[in-house]
Amino acid sequence: MFDVDPLFVGVSVLTVGSSIVALETKELIYGAIALAIGMMGIAGFFLLLDAPFVAMFQIAVYVGAVAVLIIFTVMLVRTQALFTTKEDKGRKGAGIVLMLVIMAGFGAILLVSGFNNPSYGNFNSPGIDFTAIGKEMLTYYSPALVVLGLTLAGSVVAALALARREDIEQPQ
Amino acid sequence: MSTYPEKFRFGEFVGSIVWLVFIILILVTLIGLPLIFVVLFYAPLPPVGDQVLTPYLFLSMTVDPTRTLPIIKYFIHTDLFRIAAFPGFSYAALFAAVTIFVERKFLAKMQLRVGPLYAGKIEGIFQLLADGLKLVSKEIIVPSGADKPIFWAAPIAFVATAAAVTTLIPVAPGWVAANINVGLLAVFAILGFFPLIALLFSWASNSKYPFIGGLRALHQMIAFEIPFILSALSVVILAGSLNLTEIVNSQISSNWYILFLPISAFVFYISSLAELERIPFDLPEAESEIVAGWLTETSGMIYGLIQLGSYIKTYALAALFVVLFLGGWAGPVIFPAELTPGYTGVRIYNAITASAIFWFTIKTFGMIMLMLLPRGINPRIRIDILLHTGWYKLIVLAFINMFVALALVYGGILGPGGLLVR
Repeated sequence: MFDVDPLFVGVSVLTVGSSIVALETKELIYGAIALAIGMMGIAGFFLLLDAPFVAMFQIAVYVGAVAVLIIFTVMLVRTQALFTTKEDKGRKGAGIVLMLVIMAGFGAILLVSGFNNPSYGNFNSPGIDFTAIGKEMLTYYSPALVVLGLTLAGSVVAALALARREDIEQPQ
Repeated sequence: MSTYPEKFRFGEFVGSIVWLVFIILILVTLIGLPLIFVVLFYAPLPPVGDQVLTPYLFLSMTVDPTRTLPIIKYFIHTDLFRIAAFPGFSYAALFAAVTIFVERKFLAKMQLRVGPLYAGKIEGIFQLLADGLKLVSKEIIVPSGADKPIFWAAPIAFVATAAAVTTLIPVAPGWVAANINVGLLAVFAILGFFPLIALLFSWASNSKYPFIGGLRALHQMIAFEIPFILSALSVVILAGSLNLTEIVNSQISSNWYILFLPISAFVFYISSLAELERIPFDLPEAESEIVAGWLTETSGMIYGLIQLGSYIKTYALAALFVVLFLGGWAGPVIFPAELTPGYTGVRIYNAITASAIFWFTIKTFGMIMLMLLPRGINPRIRIDILLHTGWYKLIVLAFINMFVALALVYGGILGPGGLLVR
């Protein structure tokens, strides 16, 4: 029925499994490592979708920066103080049931939608290059790009203003 | 002083060696050869040239040098060879080994010392072997309370990450293990793993000096990653591609980019020194302040693996500098087209590829020497100066040359159809 790609299955198992570990493990540091592995799995999905540019940025930003930030925070904060509530079996069961319901719902929606049509994936148009995306960004979508750039610049300036220390005494 | 056994007889020594050879010959005849035949019979062998490789053909090829050539040619064009041997791990590890020895002799000569002298007769050339044997035979001590899985996994991850960078570096036309369109981005994405590994390893050591060193490594690598990427970005503007092979080709068709982007090259060089934790920026391993930084609790082969990884990383960053600024393998063809005139049959080697590899190796080695140089002459800088340099000065410098690159492209001097493009 389905032509299953073993690579896709492997990456999916890796991503979902490490996400579950990230949520469930008692050791926060292992959770953070599992989160980093899950993000690498998402980069693997982007690679499978022929989007290596996005995949590399996914690794550089999410593994190289966000995961480091999370691990850094976890190391500095005493982990015992964060979690004092005991594990509740009822809550856990309810959470698993809720997750299964949501996943079944999404699956049902996908199955009845046009994605299930076998001819859906058979389009022959070439993949879009990142240079083409860059050209589009600088021509058709340039106002949005300018607005985004201004927002980012404004937030950077605001962050610098907030981080400026005023309590340093000038040497006389 | 080493001691000799009381009853040493030369005849007994020779006799034991003869016995060993005899036993090895018997084992090879009874076990080795049948095993080879069984494997050759069942393993699917590739067609070489116009004939299918049978065990008989394989054995006759291994004894006849002219018939061995096609099979060697087949194997050096497989992906496994590229990853494990030539542009990949073994080449980089060879570079690392040479670098470790040359560094010690070079620094010693700079500081009027002699350096390694006694292992091996000539200038201590077996020092590396002696050090390697020492590291292998040493006990690996895991500190009490250490996080064992991370403690064991981090050094291996360090070497693996460094080796992953080397697979992206093109050494000669077509000689790259992974020729991907976003090669430069992939290099930076992989380099982003290093602070993570250093931080995790320092935390897993369960000791305060490694942790201080790990935090310093994190600060330093994050602070210098941005000027690092920005300085490479101006090269991308000039070359119009993120593929490293394309970048080299565009330099061959114009000029080396260090001529147009000297400030970027300088920023790249400084940032790679910081990324490598080499001497002016070796705060994470500052041995006079925090014992040995994040390497304090390492011993034996764990230390050896991390050192191997960091020297492979040195090779990778020097090679990246050569690819981005020094024209990669660009250089005149210096090898003759045929090694043995009058030899009929297959060509033994490609003169263009051989000279490309030669130029690349020479340039990379010179670049590594330039990276070793500050260790002999510079003191360690303070951490606030380091962060200030990274965040304020180098980023601004990188931006300056990016505008130069943009002016060159929009002024029609470089880039597609430019004045200087041949």
